[in-house]
Amino acid sequence: MTSASERSYTRRDTVMFLACLGLSLVALFSPDRLGQAVSRGLRGSVLAPLVWLQARAEEGRTGRARLRAITVQRDSAAYLAQGIPSLMAENERLRQLLSLSRRLSTPYVAAEVLHQAQATDGRTLLIDAGTRDGVAEFDAVVAPEGLIGVVLGAAERNSVVMTWAHPEFRVSAFTVTGNASGIVAPALLGAEGALEFRGVPYRDSVPPGTLVLSSGLGGVYPKGIPVGTVTGVIREQAGWERVYRLRPAANPGSAAHVLVLVAPPDADLARAFPSDSALEAMRLDSIARVRRSDSIAEAERLARAARAESLVVLRRDTATPRPAPRPAPAPRSAAPRPVPPATGDSIR
Amino acid sequence: MSVSRANRIQLALVLGFLVLLHFWVRPRLWDARVSPDFLLMALVFFSMRAGPGAGAVAGFLVGLVTDALTPARFGAGALAHTVVGYLVAWARAVFFADNLAVYAGFVAVGLWLRDLVLLVASGTYRSPLLAEVTLYSPLQALVTALFALLILAAFREWFSIRLDL
Repeated sequence: MTSASERSYTRRDTVMFLACLGLSLVALFSPDRLGQAVSRGLRGSVLAPLVWLQARAEEGRTGRARLRAITVQRDSAAYLAQGIPSLMAENERLRQLLSLSRRLSTPYVAAEVLHQAQATDGRTLLIDAGTRDGVAEFDAVVAPEGLIGVVLGAAERNSVVMTWAHPEFRVSAFTVTGNASGIVAPALLGAEGALEFRGVPYRDSVPPGTLVLSSGLGGVYPKGIPVGTVTGVIREQAGWERVYRLRPAANPGSAAHVLVLVAPPDADLARAFPSDSALEAMRLDSIARVRRSDSIAEAERLARAARAESLVVLRRDTATPRPAPRPAPAPRSAAPRPVPPATGDSIR
Repeated sequence: MSVSRANRIQLALVLGFLVLLHFWVRPRLWDARVSPDFLLMALVFFSMRAGPGAGAVAGFLVGLVTDALTPARFGAGALAHTVVGYLVAWARAVFFADNLAVYAGFVAVGLWLRDLVLLVASGTYRSPLLAEVTLYSPLQALVTALFALLILAAFREWFSIRLDL
């Protein structure tokens, strides 16, 4: 390249510099409107490609930021979407609890289960209701599906619940058919997560699928709370007793909300936990009631229509001139005179 | 093709490359206040090669471009770049020889001087002027000088300059 050092510093350079300097000063002290017009013209003509280039570059830079923001939003949405099934399940459980609370005719306290990150979480639960809410020791704790356990200790704001999975859990129970009774306890050996229905007399056979309810004996659990369903025989002592395996009605590990029954234990809660057949009967009964009400409404509609029709006939009859009254017939041949329709408040 | 014509083409290519960097790469870099000013770098390179008069004209044109693209007062950029283009070429012709550090130094000083004249001419208040002149402008001058070193090292054959500092 030709180096500037090889060139001489001429007077022309000074003139050019002064000319540019003068033009710059003119531009500097020119009216703003003129400067804006020149800027606008330059941006719209010779600088347009450069402006376009810079705009694309800015888009590229902000595009990365937008992509990051969109990625964050997408991740958040995906995270929230992952919780939707659990929210739906919780919603369903809350609806069931609401339904149960309507059926319960005895006092209760609703509580939320504070699950802990412990392996023994299913045996004892911490709930957020305590003595301040009316919870006391030995209150029964139920879920919409059935029995959860009993309050082991109550503090002011929270309580500890011993669930049916606890080794010391016992509840007196009987079958829904009423032909067998015994004691329900957790199955400790080989069948974790199941219950045992012990002490059933040998002569009383309980078929699989039979619902087992709390009997109310013992003064702790009210009568009629579902405990589990018979799934089979675990063992038997010939001539003495059978021990049945129960599938628990409620799962403490998945319970998020429970009801603490603060009612006296002699209450009968069987109607609050209807069996499937009872629910079906209730549903049919409600359908029948709806049909009955529909038939009553239909009858009322027909009656209104008939009444309106008779009114039309009546108005037509009163609008036409009546013939002169006939002479009164002889009493012997008197026929029953037509009774004029009522013209009271019912005619509008 | 004569040597002079080849040199002019090479210089034009380098300047075009710097303009591309200024409008395509610079917006993608970090904060604009301390990002390298490739346009001023091109002005300095051109002025040091073309002489004070051409440097002043080039500075005026570059200033018009910056005035059209920035919301500062119209004419302030033209004035600042004219002064820088002229002084850089004049100083190189009078005092300095070809050297990497000299080129980078010219870029840094030129940028700081450009900012000073620009801020004064556009009527910037004292406090922001001091902050710009003492903080942001030196930072940007340093960054621009570093990038100038990279550019010069990449095109050292075309610029025929020594690599020693």
